[in-house]
Amino acid sequence: MAEIYPINIWINEERLSKLQKAGLADMAQEAFAGLKKLAVPTNEHQRDAILKKFPMAKFDSATTKSIELVPREVKDKIFDMVVAKKTLDVMDAFLASI
Amino acid sequence: MTEVNNALSPHGGKLVDRVLEPAKGREKARKAKIKLPIDGSRATEIMSIAYGFFSPVEGFMGHKDVDSVCKDMRLTSGYIWSIPIIFDISESEIKAKGLKEGDTLLLTYQNQPFATMDLEEIFSYDKNLMAQKVYGTTEEKHPGVKRTFACKDKFLGGKITLINPPKINPPFDKYWYPPKVLRQKAAELGWKKMVAHQTRNVPHTGHEWLMKGAWFASSADAVLVSCVVGEKRAGDYIDEAIVLTHDALGQTGYFRKGTHLTSILLWDMRYAGPKEAIFHAIVRKNLGCTHHMFGRDHAGVGTYYSPYAAHEIFSQVPDLGIVSVLTLEWWYCPVCGEVTYSGLCGHDKESQAFSGTLIRSIIQDGVKPPRLIFRPEVFDLVTESGEKYGFGSPFVTNEYLARRNPVISVPPMEV
Repeated sequence: MAEIYPINIWINEERLSKLQKAGLADMAQEAFAGLKKLAVPTNEHQRDAILKKFPMAKFDSATTKSIELVPREVKDKIFDMVVAKKTLDVMDAFLASI
Repeated sequence: MTEVNNALSPHGGKLVDRVLEPAKGREKARKAKIKLPIDGSRATEIMSIAYGFFSPVEGFMGHKDVDSVCKDMRLTSGYIWSIPIIFDISESEIKAKGLKEGDTLLLTYQNQPFATMDLEEIFSYDKNLMAQKVYGTTEEKHPGVKRTFACKDKFLGGKITLINPPKINPPFDKYWYPPKVLRQKAAELGWKKMVAHQTRNVPHTGHEWLMKGAWFASSADAVLVSCVVGEKRAGDYIDEAIVLTHDALGQTGYFRKGTHLTSILLWDMRYAGPKEAIFHAIVRKNLGCTHHMFGRDHAGVGTYYSPYAAHEIFSQVPDLGIVSVLTLEWWYCPVCGEVTYSGLCGHDKESQAFSGTLIRSIIQDGVKPPRLIFRPEVFDLVTESGEKYGFGSPFVTNEYLARRNPVISVPPMEV
């Protein structure tokens, strides 16, 4: 099975409110006893495209195998797509939009 | 190869001290006829040499030492050393200044006399070979390789003397402990065993437990936090936040008074993984540490080194006179309900790994991490440091790079 490298979108109050309004609150996973996140999956090709497009982002290859430090406004855009499409499977659409 | 005792502490048996008081420094400066301006990296390396952090190294390496370090991980004297300490210069600068072997150079920094260099050698070295031997790769996206390839084509070798010791600026001044001073302080405090923690990060509880675990494992009197202060990349935590938050762990009682000390090491990380681990061990031994902890992916970058490459290399070198405390990672386990040691917790499937990068990402998203993984005092101080030193951000921005307060200031010196 192909490896999945999530982009963790951490749920702040504004994002939580949007998820609740869209009836998607259950989409968020619990993490670290008190946090919620959306783990938006990317495949290897999508991961590399994100890292190239946003050089500030970092693939945490050593510990979490996730893509972190994607700029907040970019995460907001991905988040809004998740809410609009009601699915976490948005990376192709997101990459096509930038 | 000369047989030497690598276990001697300081490394080589004697702490290098090449710092002159200003009156003597002025006298030495007068004899140096050729002025050569240097950059901040070179200046801090000179300080590290002069104050003995890099003992037994007494200056910038000549060809034989560079070659021996690259190929055999040893100085020509036989002592283990893993990272070349080099002074690069262009052919045109050599010509313009008329540099020749035997000259004494007056190195200036911030437009002030700073150090002298007894120029013993001008040489070339194959930068591809240097990169391959030190970093195990010649890919330029590796920051250490990039740094090597950015070197100019010639190198100067020779002993240095710091003639105009700089002022360490706040907030770093409180944490500046050269080896002689730190050894004295440890003796005064009755610390016989000190375990070093290398860091370039604001501490999360994984780091905190790494330190506490190493303290237990080594039966140490104290943990020495040695914060690397040097070249920064956009998005890193600012140096001030790193140093102040580590100190806060002691000030707010997460470490009992007398068991924890924060210090700085002026060094530009090379991200040389296992080779940098050896370097860190030697430098911390010179500071008086008896133990050094090495966790997962020590000084690594990307996927160039296996996660525990820094653990493996210590079995390939002689006794360095500092015990390596090799640890696995600490993770959050929702079953245990705590941050726990991966080597003991059996809930692999449920475990939630976290890293400094992940926590930076949480903060960047405007979320306060829970206290189980990030102490609230540390979070508050990160925010405060951003306001006070980072132009509103605890992360390095272009503005911070351009306008930050310098870590060191060289006082005026008339020669």
